[in-house]
Amino acid sequence: MSGAERDPVVNRAIEELQRLPALDRHAIDRVVRAAAAARVAPAELDPADLPRTRSIRVWSALGFAAAAAVAGFVIGELRTSKEPSVETPIVTAQTSSDTQLRAVRGSAAMLDNMTVAQEFVLEAAQADRVALVGDFNSWNPKANAMTRDAAGKWSTTINVVPGRHVYGFMVNDSIFTLDPRAMKARDPDLGGDGSVRIVGRP
Amino acid sequence: MQRIAPPQSAVLDAKTISRAKLGDIDAFTSIVEAYHQRCLRFARAMLRNADDAEDMVQEAFVRLYRALPRYEERQRFESWLFQILGNVCRTANTVHHRETSRFVDDEIALERVQSDDQPGRSFDHEWGESVRKALAEVPDYNREIFLLHYIEGFGYDEIERMTGVKQSALKMRVKRASDQLRSLLSKEVGT
Repeated sequence: MSGAERDPVVNRAIEELQRLPALDRHAIDRVVRAAAAARVAPAELDPADLPRTRSIRVWSALGFAAAAAVAGFVIGELRTSKEPSVETPIVTAQTSSDTQLRAVRGSAAMLDNMTVAQEFVLEAAQADRVALVGDFNSWNPKANAMTRDAAGKWSTTINVVPGRHVYGFMVNDSIFTLDPRAMKARDPDLGGDGSVRIVGRP
Repeated sequence: MQRIAPPQSAVLDAKTISRAKLGDIDAFTSIVEAYHQRCLRFARAMLRNADDAEDMVQEAFVRLYRALPRYEERQRFESWLFQILGNVCRTANTVHHRETSRFVDDEIALERVQSDDQPGRSFDHEWGESVRKALAEVPDYNREIFLLHYIEGFGYDEIERMTGVKQSALKMRVKRASDQLRSLLSKEVGT
């Protein structure tokens, strides 16, 4: 130990810094409420989970919208050359692009909500219970219990939104296990690994 | 050095943590109750903007709750919690550093110190102010290890597991933080 560490001034400073703040029941209630809300929120609402997919969706929608507007305009121009009325094609073009834009928006929303069936499997003959946990079920081990076949293979099939998903298996309610057949990803915040599955659009 | 034992929070039994892992909100509430004060103390000392401490502690607990299913019993729960909190505080400091200069929030932090209620314990406001100002001058990377070791009571082996920094380097950081505090505070006490 150095002389500096033995210094009584430093000791006095440590004592001062060790003083605990007062217990704040309201703050504790806020923390618990926030945590409960975060756990029940759908994982696909977490932008950190699906950043690329989301940006692609937005830009795809904008691209479709632009294409629809151009297509509508061209259709309008073609009609203008055939029809004597000057006002009609403009109205037609706007109506056409609006309709297509609405259709594109509807399609983008549908794609956002569309899910893909995915099977998850773990060989664990000795396990009594296995549950699938991941960002898609807010890591809730009660959400997706797996079923065992005669050979000791546990499996479940669930619907997940397209994108990158991190998951694992909870064995006997307590042991977090990675999928040996999947890629691994390090979670820098939590200091643990998770298995990764990339789910494409249907 | 005579080690000053830090005040310990209630020790949680493994059953409470197991129940929280399964999503039992009452068990999670027990965890928050057991550690909230310590987490707040750590965050206030770590953050450049101490006014963010409550928000950062909340953020750490939310992350912990979401990640609880991945918690492995062989890992010490307390060090896992402070690992998450340390990450949250470091990120917040990086953001704050980009936005403002240092020490702007000392007054806010000191106002909070005044409101703390610990009957029967002497309180020297000026000394507390000096200590916090001196601590704010200690670089983040030294301050964090100093706090984990002397204030939160983690051993060097445990801090090594939490941070990935070798014990020799950790000891050096604590020594540097101690030297700096001594240098700054000796002027205050006239030694």
